[in-house]
Amino acid sequence: MTTAPLAAPRWRGLAALAEREVLRVLRLWTQTIVPPVVAAVLFIVVFGVALGNSIRVIDGFPYEQFIVPGLVLMGVATSAFGNNATSIYQARNDGFIEDPASSPMGPTQLLLGYLAGGVARSLLIGGLTLAAARIFVDYPVEDPLVLAAALIGTSLAFSALGAVVGLHSTGWEQQNVVGNLVIQPLVFLGGVFYSIEALSQPWRALTHADPIFYMVVAARHGTLGSSEVPVALSLGITLGLAAAMLIWAWVTFIRGVGIRT
Amino acid sequence: MIADGAPALACEGVHKTFPGGVEALAGLDLAIPEGSFFGLLGPNGAGKTTLIRSVVGLTRPDAGAIRVFGRRAWGEGATAARRAIGYAPQEVALDRFVPVRESLTLHGRYFGMSRADARHRADEMLMAFDLSAKADDYAHHLSGGMRRRLLLARALLHRPRLVILDEPTAGVDLELRYDLWAYIRSLHADGSTILLTTHYIEEAEALCERVAFIRGGRIVADGPPSDLRERFGAARLEDVYLQLVGR
Repeated sequence: MTTAPLAAPRWRGLAALAEREVLRVLRLWTQTIVPPVVAAVLFIVVFGVALGNSIRVIDGFPYEQFIVPGLVLMGVATSAFGNNATSIYQARNDGFIEDPASSPMGPTQLLLGYLAGGVARSLLIGGLTLAAARIFVDYPVEDPLVLAAALIGTSLAFSALGAVVGLHSTGWEQQNVVGNLVIQPLVFLGGVFYSIEALSQPWRALTHADPIFYMVVAARHGTLGSSEVPVALSLGITLGLAAAMLIWAWVTFIRGVGIRT
Repeated sequence: MIADGAPALACEGVHKTFPGGVEALAGLDLAIPEGSFFGLLGPNGAGKTTLIRSVVGLTRPDAGAIRVFGRRAWGEGATAARRAIGYAPQEVALDRFVPVRESLTLHGRYFGMSRADARHRADEMLMAFDLSAKADDYAHHLSGGMRRRLLLARALLHRPRLVILDEPTAGVDLELRYDLWAYIRSLHADGSTILLTTHYIEEAEALCERVAFIRGGRIVADGPPSDLRERFGAARLEDVYLQLVGR
């Protein structure tokens, strides 16, 4: 056997697990990549291009431009969560998670390896949605770094949340509950399709309590250069939430939830 | 580094109680010398699988110590201990999203092998277990016997020094059982330490140099089959088993 220092096996294992997770996404591209991109493009076409004439301008931007960053972020958030919740639960349900779990890899390597699939899938969807939207809408990218930080932060936060749910789930229905009844409403009420300025109380206050609102706002700032709250606040909450979710997922792996009895 | 001269597996006072109060391991002590072919026998629920899962890091013992070639199986040292173990679980659980060769290669890399070494070794294992023709198929398209062979190939891929086989011949036909026996024997002849659990007493009698009977989460008898037969005044190991389980 190729000899390696004792730390090396863990990182080689991480590279293999990350590769496996990314390859799973790419091999199942008709299920993992195409549907969310098509859904986002349909939203742009129907809400932006077709119905956009009735709304015309929102916060100083044509409606079809206004909705692009939020739709991109929506695809990133839902696919990051769905990917990891599904992949981890499937591996637990079928039992093959025991192969990496009984390897020299520790909780950190397992977490990073499983995150790789969700992050790769969601960022690929984000990038493809941005590219596909260009066909229908001419939008600027005013601050690429802020856009990248918003998308990466969102991707990490929801990949980590997906990992937590995948580890805790005892059935497929639990993932659907979290995905459809928690994340989806938060995304739709997070200002993807409207400006918070158009809302009256208590809806405005409720939207401010929705963490996804800050992610959408950060992505919109990066794209259009316009922000309903200071960019430091929106980006701070996005990255802070990512850090909190990563810690939660890491602790869940350390405790061995769903893997070790 | 793995400590020289240490037993392949040493368990001291291992306890495990599952939520709900089921005591699976009740202060279990066991030592398996390096190079031995060791059988672990006991009725369903005796604690065999819990013990094995504790050794491979899938069940966390509440108390006691487990060492593999002198290295702790949990906490500090677990990296070395886990690299030294090859585990074929009772349930056939294979990754359905990757083809057979890749599944083996990934396993080797999970256990710290380089990509090139893992690929080379995967081809060796495919050849050894007569699976080369299925290398690009997915595991769920294989027959039950092929999946069982793949599981064993996977356990051996990273060249472990301690091979743990949890009922490897359960549900396989006679021909495959004899093939697996031959392969496991050759592994042992090459110096690997084997820990085998089985419900087939004749299998343990045919293969193992030493056997231990587990009941109620404790080892109740341990020794070479001939010694055990003599100690219990039994003609067959099966009779020893029946005495120990109270039949």
